[in-house]
Amino acid sequence: MATVVDSSNPKSNFPIQYRELNYLNCSKGWKSWFFTLDHKRIGIMYLIGVTIAFFLGGIFAVLLRTELLSPAKLFMGPDSYNQMFTLHGAIMTFLVIIPGVPAAIGNIILPVMLGAKDVAFPRMNLGSFYLWMFGAAFFVAAIVLGGLDTGWTFYTPYSITTNTAVITALFGVFILGFSSIFTGLNFIVTIHTMRPPGMTWFKMPLFLWALYATALIQILATPVLGITGLLLIVERAFHIGIFDPALGGDPVLFQHFFWFYSHPAVYVMILPAMGVVSEVIAVHSRKHIFGYRFIAYSSIAIAVFGFLVWGHHMFVSGQSKVVAVVFSGITFSVSIPSAIKVFNWLATMYKGSIRFTTAMCYGLAFIFIFSIGGLTGLFLATLATDIHLHDTYFVVAHFHYVMMGSSLVGLFAAVHHWWPKISGKMFNEFWGRIACLGVFCGFNLTFFPQFILGTRGMPRRYYTYLPEFQNLHILSTMGAYLLGISSALMVGTLIYSIYYGKRAPANPWGGASLEWQCSSPPPSNNFDHPPLAGDPYVMESVVYNEEIGGYVPAECQGDNKGSVTASGDKEV
Amino acid sequence: MNTAATTTTDENADGHDHEHHDPRLAHHFDSHQQQFDTGKLGIWLFLVTEVLFFSGLFGFYAVYRSLHPEVFLYASQFLDTTLGAANTVVLLFSSLTMAWGVRCAQLGNTRGLLICLVTTLACAAIFLGVKSFEYTEKAHHGLLPGNMYHSPEDHGHAAEAAVPVAAGGADAAADHATADHADADHAAADHAAVPAVHQDDELFEKTKHTLSYMNSFLWAVIVLSGIAFGVLMKNPNKKTLATVAGCFLISAIGMQVGAFASVGYHQFGHAAAPTDQDIAMAETAPAEYAKQKEKVPEPLLARTFFSVYFCMTGVHAIHIIGGMIAISWLIVRTVHGAFTTYYFGAVDFIGLYWHLVDLIWIYLFPLLYLIN
Repeated sequence: MATVVDSSNPKSNFPIQYRELNYLNCSKGWKSWFFTLDHKRIGIMYLIGVTIAFFLGGIFAVLLRTELLSPAKLFMGPDSYNQMFTLHGAIMTFLVIIPGVPAAIGNIILPVMLGAKDVAFPRMNLGSFYLWMFGAAFFVAAIVLGGLDTGWTFYTPYSITTNTAVITALFGVFILGFSSIFTGLNFIVTIHTMRPPGMTWFKMPLFLWALYATALIQILATPVLGITGLLLIVERAFHIGIFDPALGGDPVLFQHFFWFYSHPAVYVMILPAMGVVSEVIAVHSRKHIFGYRFIAYSSIAIAVFGFLVWGHHMFVSGQSKVVAVVFSGITFSVSIPSAIKVFNWLATMYKGSIRFTTAMCYGLAFIFIFSIGGLTGLFLATLATDIHLHDTYFVVAHFHYVMMGSSLVGLFAAVHHWWPKISGKMFNEFWGRIACLGVFCGFNLTFFPQFILGTRGMPRRYYTYLPEFQNLHILSTMGAYLLGISSALMVGTLIYSIYYGKRAPANPWGGASLEWQCSSPPPSNNFDHPPLAGDPYVMESVVYNEEIGGYVPAECQGDNKGSVTASGDKEV
Repeated sequence: MNTAATTTTDENADGHDHEHHDPRLAHHFDSHQQQFDTGKLGIWLFLVTEVLFFSGLFGFYAVYRSLHPEVFLYASQFLDTTLGAANTVVLLFSSLTMAWGVRCAQLGNTRGLLICLVTTLACAAIFLGVKSFEYTEKAHHGLLPGNMYHSPEDHGHAAEAAVPVAAGGADAAADHATADHADADHAAADHAAVPAVHQDDELFEKTKHTLSYMNSFLWAVIVLSGIAFGVLMKNPNKKTLATVAGCFLISAIGMQVGAFASVGYHQFGHAAAPTDQDIAMAETAPAEYAKQKEKVPEPLLARTFFSVYFCMTGVHAIHIIGGMIAISWLIVRTVHGAFTTYYFGAVDFIGLYWHLVDLIWIYLFPLLYLIN
């Protein structure tokens, strides 16, 4: 077991739990944040930005669901409804889910997990955050300059002819794409070149494998979105006739380009969440992860397969039948690595000592929701059923189960799991769990009825519907309210903990990976010396220590912690 | 760790310098080797994203060429192979000087590195100069993407039956202005029914006219940056500014050289006047003459070719400009003596980027210019 021990102090090997000077307060003033090169501070800024965007997108969602309480027009006509769902989709996709786990949580945790002092390119890291900000600013500008009503997919030829702010939004997407590319590039290089002594590829925590697979997709798929967006901008501005059938262009080419990015992007959203769940399940079950190599390989397999299935978005767009069959077949095969992960998580929990901490509750919610989301994907991958289900609420429910129910719940799990490390404070477990229950129930109440609506033929993207659908719609809207309130409760609980929470020990949950070895919150350089890395899932290497309320390396348990804890405090 | 805790204040004051003091080694790396490997992997990954970025354009090309081969066959004849080939040579030469510069940096030969970088920058500027001539000329012939396109048939070329003269396109910046010019051209052509040869001359004059704006601008840059360079050069505290001015000077001169060379080539070097034999034949047997000089009829979607052309070469030109900025930054750092035998990563990485930009041109040139 690798412990950060200080050989120069013979008195004790007991790890420092807390330092008065940490990355959060080592320097002050807005400049120390806005020009920081510290990956943790950049991650915090991402987290704040993502949270704001999440609530903005969430407000749009709640407004949409409110309009759908009745088939009659309540307060939104078709045009404003179109703009609202477009912005909801675009903001949630590009500003929340894609940067959520990798850019926010990954930035904070990845270098610490590697025992490194920072990511490989700290300046590029800050640059990618600013690109994210600029991209977000373009989105806000698009809202101000007449909205956007193309759907987040920008399908041609409508996106060429509509008179909403398509170009502004596309610039935003273009810039956000580069932000994502640079984050991914940074992570790949960091994982390749900055692993500590002893950490071979197969001793990396699975979260790092997931981030690595994610980053591969980010750098290989996002440039295609960039050039597609650019071509669409040029098409709109100068009518060059690439995608415009009136000028001899091919609108389906746009769909190919778009989904070549955007299907892999779905895995940019889900893979990091899967990595989070691998960590959370193992740590909170106090058990070595089951099938480590299979989980690691399945992340890479999902990343590779993710590039070969984009055509399943276009079964009814007029592609050839042979191609459709091939895409359908490959799409089915993606379920294999996904299922491998789910089975391994379940096997990890088997005979573990499971503690229903908030993070674990979110982890369990993830497994439940992801199973439904993944399995309903097979209905859509089947050519015959897809003809019936295409563009119905079934699709909406399916991708919300995967993108919201899985990716975002994974993000919530990550935030709760690493919150003591990030903020140095323990949050209130009771309210955390209540919020988790609310999110879980609210989510299922919102989207399960939509599966039923979809199979009965309710088409997506309409502000009105046949009266017989009303009961299910009301159910769905109630779920959305519950979901919104629970999310607010979750954020409230976390913010409350910053001010009134108990001070967190270095290792509150008993994790064995490196990030739990530095104090909470970490000092600005994380580790003074590169730590030695062992197996990140040998939970027996740490034991609970009553006095500090957290876990310490087993070999230190008997040490004179009194003086050490005091020394930790005395420095302050 | 306890020791570290006691010295936290120091650490935050000046980073973690208890292990090394080399300012060339970033604080989070253990060794120069690690720093170099990191950068190398980073730039290769970045080049992968660049290739994928261009792959969208190549995909666009592949789809349309397979759907409408006749468009590409017809329209590519409007591109001037000689100018394209000249640009290819210039870029290849700049790749050589770049690679040479990396070698110089590795050997610690700062003077050689500086010469190589300056030459590379100048070559890049010449490339852009030639490209701007091509773009401007294309715009004046109405050979623009999408619905800005005006058929060259309207210019009376068809009657002349001569192989259409080299034509260029429009710079992204010049798009609006030139589209208007093109309209004016048509009006003139329809109205006056000038013989095609004159028409062609007229277009060339217009091209030169538009280029003269760029010309004046570049002269202004040359004069100003020349003065700035001369004044600042003597002041050892203004090394950076002087070098930046020098880079501007080199770029502007390079562009002038490229543009003037293209104009000169167009004026004297090509599109030979019809020979006596041709004239005799046209007079005695017009039908046979026309048949001999038979040209491909203009396909419906000829404009698509110019969409492809401008998108691909335009994005490539933007990358050239990006490379010029990066090389200028290298020149500034070289002047400050930043690079040594164990710290030359930046030169190597930007060199790799430059080779990729060249490589993309090596693909663009045959795909666009050499279709016939």
